Amino acid sequence: MSHTHTHGSPGDSHHKAAPMVEEITDYEVLEIAVRELAIEHGLFTAEDHRRFTEWAESIGPAAGSRLVAKAWTDPAFKALALKDGLKACKEIGVDWAEPTGVGTPSDYMEFHVLEDTPTLHHVIVCTLCSCYPRPLLGMSPEWYRTTNYRRRLVRWPRQVLAEFGLILPPEVEVRVEDSNQKCRFMVMPVRPAGTENWTEERLAEIVTRDCMIGVALPKPGRTADVHPIQKARRPVNSSHQEAS
Amino acid sequence: MPSPDLREQLELIRAIQPAVHVPQNWNYENTGPMYKAYMHPPHDVGGQFDVPIYYEEKEEEQWELNTYVTCEVLGWRGVWTAEERRRRADNDLGYTLYLGMPYYARWIWAAAKMLVDKKHVSLAELQEKIAEVKSRYETK
Amino acid sequence: MKQNKTSAEKGALFEVGDMVRVRDMPYMFYTRSQLYTRGVVGTIAGLTYKDLIPEEEAFNFDGRVEQYYIVRFRQKDLWPGYAFDNDTLQTECPHRWLEPATN
Repeated sequence: MSHTHTHGSPGDSHHKAAPMVEEITDYEVLEIAVRELAIEHGLFTAEDHRRFTEWAESIGPAAGSRLVAKAWTDPAFKALALKDGLKACKEIGVDWAEPTGVGTPSDYMEFHVLEDTPTLHHVIVCTLCSCYPRPLLGMSPEWYRTTNYRRRLVRWPRQVLAEFGLILPPEVEVRVEDSNQKCRFMVMPVRPAGTENWTEERLAEIVTRDCMIGVALPKPGRTADVHPIQKARRPVNSSHQEAS
Repeated sequence: MPSPDLREQLELIRAIQPAVHVPQNWNYENTGPMYKAYMHPPHDVGGQFDVPIYYEEKEEEQWELNTYVTCEVLGWRGVWTAEERRRRADNDLGYTLYLGMPYYARWIWAAAKMLVDKKHVSLAELQEKIAEVKSRYETK
Repeated sequence: MKQNKTSAEKGALFEVGDMVRVRDMPYMFYTRSQLYTRGVVGTIAGLTYKDLIPEEEAFNFDGRVEQYYIVRFRQKDLWPGYAFDNDTLQTECPHRWLEPATN
């Protein structure tokens, strides 16, 4: 049975409904136009674009998982991660200066790890746009960018977390981090019970992206964030893509 | 199993609730609070009311990745800063475009506007290029 | 690149633990100081870096460089009727948006 999806009808409160073909094509056209004009006018080169694309395709949440898993097993590394986030990232192979040498224009080089404790739970949002620690976690999930999440998380965090399936007792301090300037943040969750003697690799498997944003808690056996997925019309690297 | 028809019905029913439409056409005055509301940057949304929705993942379109890279590379090569991009893409375009356009559409729109505003490209040149690119697609 | 021109710092920087109020300055065109923090008293939780203020950087204006701070608020102070006493929120503010407060 095909997935019922309202196509931008007035009643669709979810403004990311599947766009019409024409909309996508118009933005594709605009993107090509801007890129070609920029190259023609010497503002950047095709090689610049290719290099940055390569970096963009290389990032993902696995690096963040590794950082947390290492912090859980190595107290000295944990202390470093809390004191100097950039240095800790470098130790696990992520250099926030890449690929330009001075950091990406959007992600800067001011990274902080937020340490959860049994009585303090962090959750991250950027209410003004959708700032996110891309070098360490990759691209932000769609829901994180929505006006909806950005409106509601700061004011009704427990309700929003409950929608993610996460309910915390009132004694726990829920601390929302609204990353509205140049600092970028990641949550270091509390290491869950039932993971004694686990290897770093096994620990990393349960530290999913949602855990590092703060909308989920790591648990033995929980190795994926499950959300409905809106498919793309012409996804990255699909065979339909016009070579340019 | 929850019915997808139920969700669609509830949304359509919500859309046909009555409301009084007040066309705006250069009001002679605005109250203080209304002035403040008009001046409020559209992207400052924290604390506004909204309803629970399905929080989805989205597979990235090739054009979206290209847009992201184009905007970042324009920053890398000093044509604009990310902060300027945000101001243009999140703020300058007004509520209708801010809420109506796809996320990355605002990015590429802001980049196009910036190129024109900074006189790297004339609007006429941009229009001609768009028409030309479009014509490439149409012959396929 | 950015030059350190006239800093908007008048007097000393805030320190961790200082109580500050977010100034409710008139805004137009652009802000990175959220409406929901205006006039609210919070505590300095950290000093981050010195940089151009957003109102200038967003317009490519090589202007004021200021200290940025992480400011922590009680959720009960931010939102009417917030039901959980222990919850907090923190966000980042440049110096010009803050003034000393005595709660």
